[in-house]
Amino acid sequence: MMPDYVDISVHAFPEGADTPKRLNLVARSLGFTAIGLTAHSPYWSQFSDSNAISGIEIVAHSVRDLRKKIAFFSDTVAVISVHGGDEQINRAACTDDRVDLLMHPERGKRGGLNQVTAKIAEKNGVALGLSFGYFWKTGQVARSRMLAFQHQNVVLCQKFGVPIVITSDAYSHFDLRAPRQLKALARLLPLEDTEATAALSSAPRNIIKRSAQKEEERA
Amino acid sequence: MKPLRPTLRDSFRYVAFTLNSEEPVRTRDLQAEIFDAAKSLFGDVGVSKLGIKFVMFDGTKGLVRCRYQHVSELQATLASIGKIENNRVGVTVVGTSGTIKAAIEKYLQIDEKIRRIISSYVTVPVSGKAVRMRGKEIDIIPEDREIVDRADVRFIGITIDDNERLI
Repeated sequence: MMPDYVDISVHAFPEGADTPKRLNLVARSLGFTAIGLTAHSPYWSQFSDSNAISGIEIVAHSVRDLRKKIAFFSDTVAVISVHGGDEQINRAACTDDRVDLLMHPERGKRGGLNQVTAKIAEKNGVALGLSFGYFWKTGQVARSRMLAFQHQNVVLCQKFGVPIVITSDAYSHFDLRAPRQLKALARLLPLEDTEATAALSSAPRNIIKRSAQKEEERA
Repeated sequence: MKPLRPTLRDSFRYVAFTLNSEEPVRTRDLQAEIFDAAKSLFGDVGVSKLGIKFVMFDGTKGLVRCRYQHVSELQATLASIGKIENNRVGVTVVGTSGTIKAAIEKYLQIDEKIRRIISSYVTVPVSGKAVRMRGKEIDIIPEDREIVDRADVRFIGITIDDNERLI
């Protein structure tokens, strides 16, 4: 049986170039059962599709700003991810259990994760978001750098049991890739086939389940 | 020269793919791009091991051959293609097969949706000119280029359900 593939982080109109309905249409034809719309927080809007999962990717310039934005969005959307890169932001995101996903922590000067943050992330149920968009968006130098950092982060997360989620981080339907292609790219990192399948199906499903539970608790 | 015995020959797989592009792509450019992408990902030595051979391409779908142990590397190569001659593309792998005949029969009998040229001014969700339509998909050239520049594409993509006036 085919697993339920979910691409949990795509950027739809007005941030990206395609409306949620168009992205959903293309993603379904590629083999996904659902997509998660996580606009960066400056572009967040109510423009959505009832078939897609609502989410946000919080961009914060300081730890205080991050906490404020998490508090604001945790009541409104299902999936809360944090735009990683800065080491302080990465760490603050890992310490907050309202955060579901830390996207691309490797965008800073170094890998962005270490044994301390990985342990805290595991405790708070924060998953590592591997964005594969750089494979087709960046040049060779940047790509090998990102690949090396992601490699390091994946090894850390495997060691400490942090869930890993693979996304295309798409800004248009040209950035969407079929699950089997994302899995083939994941094999370039040290991810086995079963781990890659889990990163595309059960890990994002668990995030959605967790957010549904949180909503029930609040109600 | 005597041909190699079947037991000594390499075993191959044929990977069927479909291509989605902004503008039509020439076969020659796609072929060059596949080899470039493979070389950029795996280097000269890696490419020699993959045994890539470009088999066919008809404008929207095609076939590439590789050694049977390296199908996943070829899939990764095809996934890492984002642009051909300044033209955004997306290559999707549809399936893998052991012979050309089986690959075509199984995976490339796709009913192509015809792309129709349309011309109508729209304001929802963005003001601009709707220029083409394929199935439920509609492409708009917007007046304000900010969004398309950010996403590095030429069109805003919507569906019929987003703008019911266009039907």
